[in-house]
Amino acid sequence: MPIVQPGKRPARRFQKSRVFGGKLSHGRRAVNAELNVVPMVDMMTMLVIFLLQQFSATGEVLYMQKDIKLPDAQHGQAIEVAPVIAVNGDSVVVTGHKVADVRELEADQFLSIQPLEERLRDEKKRWDFIHQNDPDREKNWKGDVNIQADIKVPFRILKRVMFSAAQAGYYNVNFATLETSGSAPAPARAPVPK
Amino acid sequence: MGGGAMPEGGGGRRKRKALDAVINVVPAIDLLSCCIAFLLFTAVWTQISRLQAQQFGTAAEQAAEQQKSLTVTLVVGARGFVLQTSAGGAWEIPPLGRSGDGQATYDVKGLAERLKALRADYPDQAAVTVAAEDQVLYQDLVKTIDTCVGAGLTAVSVTAAG
Repeated sequence: MPIVQPGKRPARRFQKSRVFGGKLSHGRRAVNAELNVVPMVDMMTMLVIFLLQQFSATGEVLYMQKDIKLPDAQHGQAIEVAPVIAVNGDSVVVTGHKVADVRELEADQFLSIQPLEERLRDEKKRWDFIHQNDPDREKNWKGDVNIQADIKVPFRILKRVMFSAAQAGYYNVNFATLETSGSAPAPARAPVPK
Repeated sequence: MGGGAMPEGGGGRRKRKALDAVINVVPAIDLLSCCIAFLLFTAVWTQISRLQAQQFGTAAEQAAEQQKSLTVTLVVGARGFVLQTSAGGAWEIPPLGRSGDGQATYDVKGLAERLKALRADYPDQAAVTVAAEDQVLYQDLVKTIDTCVGAGLTAVSVTAAG
């Protein structure tokens, strides 16, 4: 719709009339301005195409955290939905709940982290409850867990996290990494018979 | 812009309808605006990927162990990388140096070349066990697993060394 200057103007049927229309215009130029929207439509189309390319149907499984810097990897696969164990320099967090303090773990001699194990057992119970009507429940259980650790976390902490996860039934560990650009996706891993 | 040209010739006095058609782009702009708003809201900007590994000694790992034609163990630690096979092969790839905080800088390129050579000798081999020492950092563990996967050894098991 054109933009018009407010004020007195002839009715539409007189707009082209030389008699009435001319009287009202008083020799001024028309102030109707038509905006050329084609460049804007082009730009919006480009934006939509770019954003569609970026779109991920799985959503954000792992959130970037300030205190966790992830390492780069070239051959990573797409992340899947699974319980997330976040390990930073201070604490071990499972799906948003702190379960252990790293300093206490350093002093502790036990391999298993009990609160972590209990938390993961609860997660597994929840999964069992959701899939209680599935006859192939045991077969479909993959035991995936995502470990999101800071680059400076030593393996002596990670092995305890992994051991506790294995004790709770999560023996398939996915290490979270940042995907570097230009990398080729990793080949699909051959299924392992149970 | 998208208008049809008037045919030449035959200039009679009869008034002809203009061939130019005005396309209303307002609905298209509305639709695109909605799309952009939705896609911006749901966009994932950080590309996080995963490196899959199994824990050594679990049931699935033991099943994979039975399929192996060769057992390949890669120890990561203070000596750098030590690659051992059940066929008797053993290769040591020493670290390139030490960083300021005393951490070893591992020769990842050397490891990649060694693993490619191993894979050339055993093309069916897909399993490797990475045994890490306590002081190995998460970034070094991830780089090691990434190198193994890149060399074609996709079935990675992780365990503690020693």
